[in-house]
Amino acid sequence: MAARRSRALWPLSGRGCSWALLSLRPPWGWTRPMSTEKPGADTHFGFETVSEEEKGDKVYQVFESVAKKYDVMNDSMSLGIHRIWKDLLLRKMHPFSGTKLLDVAGGTGDIAFRFLNYIKAQNQRQQQRELKSHQNLSWEEIAKWYQNSRSPLGESHVVVCDINKEMLNVGKKKAQTLGHKRGLAWVVGDAEELPFDDDKFDVYTIAFGIRNVTHIDRALQEAYRVLKPGGRFLCLEFSQVSNPIISRLYDLYSFQVIPVMGEVIAGDWKSYQYLVESIRRFPPQEEFKEMIEDAGFQKVTYESLTSGIVAIHSGFKL
Amino acid sequence: MLSGPWRRAASALRASAAGSRAVHAAGPRPAADSPGSDPASPPAAFDAALLDVLVCPLSKKPLRYEVSTNELINEELGIAYPVIDGIPNMIPQAARMIRRNKQQEEKEQE
Repeated sequence: MAARRSRALWPLSGRGCSWALLSLRPPWGWTRPMSTEKPGADTHFGFETVSEEEKGDKVYQVFESVAKKYDVMNDSMSLGIHRIWKDLLLRKMHPFSGTKLLDVAGGTGDIAFRFLNYIKAQNQRQQQRELKSHQNLSWEEIAKWYQNSRSPLGESHVVVCDINKEMLNVGKKKAQTLGHKRGLAWVVGDAEELPFDDDKFDVYTIAFGIRNVTHIDRALQEAYRVLKPGGRFLCLEFSQVSNPIISRLYDLYSFQVIPVMGEVIAGDWKSYQYLVESIRRFPPQEEFKEMIEDAGFQKVTYESLTSGIVAIHSGFKL
Repeated sequence: MLSGPWRRAASALRASAAGSRAVHAAGPRPAADSPGSDPASPPAAFDAALLDVLVCPLSKKPLRYEVSTNELINEELGIAYPVIDGIPNMIPQAARMIRRNKQQEEKEQE
């Protein structure tokens, strides 16, 4: 790990020692002696400074007020591109039948539904392949095939965990509309204190949720705890744009267009102002990668999408 | 440090106890969810498979599902997490303390 850190410092050393000092500071932006609670510690809520206790409540209020319009706003703000990002996350995950997924901050269930569809499609393709290869089926085989098609999910299961009840209610209704009945569970829980036992899940995902968590390191440690050995941590989150021109356009779009859209569509300027500010406050790809490594994950990699607007970080518990 | 959420839980408890006193004569204590409001799926559509993975977020110990009150109970700490619409609420602030509730019931009966 020390070798990796020094390699990361080499390109920074050209810019002066101030950058090197910055990267040596604890990556989450404010100094803390230990990871135990320090009453009265301040954190950021967008560009505001609030106390840590306040941040949790404020984030809760943001999502409570946007819950019903959440999906509509996602589509309009990202021009539908968030669907591609989430599909790419699933493709990277490449789950197989029997995978147990924990989707934290999964609110309206986007990742969970995609996971279920992926597994169902995979199983269907497998069954079709089997059918093609067996031209003369006995009655037993046909009966078995019907039995298998009854349970297209197999052992796969997804638990959607979110701190906000409203988001889960929206998600549950969506599940009923889309027809996902089995293999899905909803739990209200805190990402920093997950109500799950150790070594339980094969994959842990958190899509566009971790920047809203007050203590990211605790959430990462909890993720490490609940994963089985060999389990995978996947995080889809807004990140830093590398290209300066695109960065300018992105900033313009974020600060001028998105809050206005929020006001027009959801009737909530401030929540979307918080959203775009919280994106700027989130650590960049490399720093977040180091935070994930600190939690104990190995083989941590990241992939920037759309020139860095979002990034998928992946790590394994080995 | 935990006094804040417990105080909130206690005040919520007092409010619910005051409310239940009004209907105390009517019959048993009202359950956490309103019975009869769900025609199709019962509120106890709580997936028993979840019990395998769910633990108390504070002590990480397994929980017991209480069908009558539709809650998940941690005996050790004496707290109960409500299950609303089949979704268990595992936030410590939402949990109800069982022992203090018993004391309140005894006070009401006096």
